[in-house]
Amino acid sequence: MKSKLRIGIAGGGLLGRLCAWRLALMNHEVTLFDAGDFERPGGACWTAAGMISPLSELVSAEPEVYHMGMRSLDIWPRWIAELERQTGMSASYRQAGSVVVAHPLDKAELAQFQRDLNAKLPADEALQWLDREGVARLEPGLADHFEQGLYLPSEADVNSRLLLNALLAALRQGGVRLISNTLVECSAHRMHWSSGSERFDWVIDVRGLGASRNMTGLRGVRGEVMIIETSEVRLNRPVRLMHPRYKLYAVPRLNGQIIIGATEIESADMSPISLQSTLELSSALYALNPAFAEARVVETSVNCRPALPDNLPRVKREPGLICANGLYRHGYLLGPVVVGQVLDQFHSEKQYAA
Amino acid sequence: MDKLSLYGETFASRLLIGSALYPSPAIMLEAVRASGAEIITLSLRRQNPAHQDGKVIWDYIRSSGCKLLPNTAGCKSAKEAVTLAEMSREIFQTDWLKLEVIGDDYSLQPDPYGLVDAAKELSKRGFKVLPYCTEDLVLCRRLLDAGCEALMPWGAPIGTGQGLLNKYNLRMLRERLPDTPMIIDAGLGAPSHAAEAMEMGFDAVLLNTAVAKAHDPVAMGGAFKMAVEAGRAGYNAGLMLARQTASPSTPTIGMPFWRRQSQ
Repeated sequence: MKSKLRIGIAGGGLLGRLCAWRLALMNHEVTLFDAGDFERPGGACWTAAGMISPLSELVSAEPEVYHMGMRSLDIWPRWIAELERQTGMSASYRQAGSVVVAHPLDKAELAQFQRDLNAKLPADEALQWLDREGVARLEPGLADHFEQGLYLPSEADVNSRLLLNALLAALRQGGVRLISNTLVECSAHRMHWSSGSERFDWVIDVRGLGASRNMTGLRGVRGEVMIIETSEVRLNRPVRLMHPRYKLYAVPRLNGQIIIGATEIESADMSPISLQSTLELSSALYALNPAFAEARVVETSVNCRPALPDNLPRVKREPGLICANGLYRHGYLLGPVVVGQVLDQFHSEKQYAA
Repeated sequence: MDKLSLYGETFASRLLIGSALYPSPAIMLEAVRASGAEIITLSLRRQNPAHQDGKVIWDYIRSSGCKLLPNTAGCKSAKEAVTLAEMSREIFQTDWLKLEVIGDDYSLQPDPYGLVDAAKELSKRGFKVLPYCTEDLVLCRRLLDAGCEALMPWGAPIGTGQGLLNKYNLRMLRERLPDTPMIIDAGLGAPSHAAEAMEMGFDAVLLNTAVAKAHDPVAMGGAFKMAVEAGRAGYNAGLMLARQTASPSTPTIGMPFWRRQSQ
């Protein structure tokens, strides 16, 4: 068969790993480059909470994000089942919906959230109001503190780090050549680094902010998260707290850990978390349930999301080079769809060759 | 012509706009364009200004062609505000400044004492200070004494969309400081709120949340533009006074006397 292609991918984040994995499964010869270490990716994918929440995001995003996100919700379970079968590793994918709450004083925020959502949602999308009992049934840990909330049953989340690790294992199994700690530049059919270059049939550039010099208008949007650990309060699914000033989400992970985030600051600043953000995140969490007070802060993490002026992803294609970038705060939400757009090229090529 | 005059510069538009909270920078630019605003505020407190980490978004805001009005949002003391002001003067090459000194975290209510201290110091250092203040007459006078040539009293707390909460005070402020340019800043939710402020004789309004968080920010920018223009035109044309009873505009001589007494 003529269809085996040599493909070089720049950027070992979520997009790079997904592309490399799918292309290796299609029997292409794949090389994945990263500026850092594959064990601990430097990009936003490692920091992200891994929410796949097309509804919640719709409030502040374009309808396109929602539609792509809904398609992702179809793709993720299949891909993750495949990945888990292949590697024997879990990515902790969970489709248990998400809960949105606000304190009685900030009720207007919840009403506004619902109004914004209803204005943009297709009529058939399910959105459920919760009363005190409803909140207690879904999230007993919030029972005493919230009289109302919203339940978005279709939303999901994935443990970003477990997923990235499983993908890495799959790449190793699939014979993908992994080249770490190598800064590259991309051009059509060729990958360049400080001491050399290599020809490929196709180059895929998914470097995120690493591609700033090649993509005009690309900017970093700073996000800060904290990971806390407690055995006193349990959450069953991602919870969002509406507040006039800052929006918080808390996503439960394994072993009593909860990742809370995320700030959104228009800045490419990668320095450690600010005290102000620490206060905002932790006081918002404390407001969910004061029993969080004795939780332990096990990690704080900062990263910058790669975003384009319209905050929408872009896939650019020329012969021998495909660039995908600008997933902003929607890496896990839009990842499979954007990767699908990149892979389209190879599906058609395969048909063409066959 | 009926132009807005601030610190010796004139502007055709009486709407000032904020640059935060939009769905995307691209939508922000479009909404600003639709609003017709010629002055745009921007914050830098949380963007690590010393390292210019917000440069991309600042350049983007600059590309709107509007005059930049950097603010000191997030500052809680005069000292912080002065430090940030110096930094913003250096970065944006402008001595214009929207001065914010916040006294209450939850409502973001201005701290009048810190505001006056900061305004004094900044005016001395050559800044053209536009202070975000409450509608308190005495505070406003102190700010003028401190060297401010224009004031930005709030309509309601930031982001609440409540409109003009204390109309009595605002009216008095307008009457007592007839020659001071005053911009209603914060708390406006609907175009009618902006029109009302303009009808009361305020010189301009400043908005952010109401436009940025609308379902269609671009359309809302246009709606506020029309409201501000209508309100100003109405003010200039001379509003009639509201009356207790509807007065007939034709003589009622022909009406039987028993009807005249009815009601």
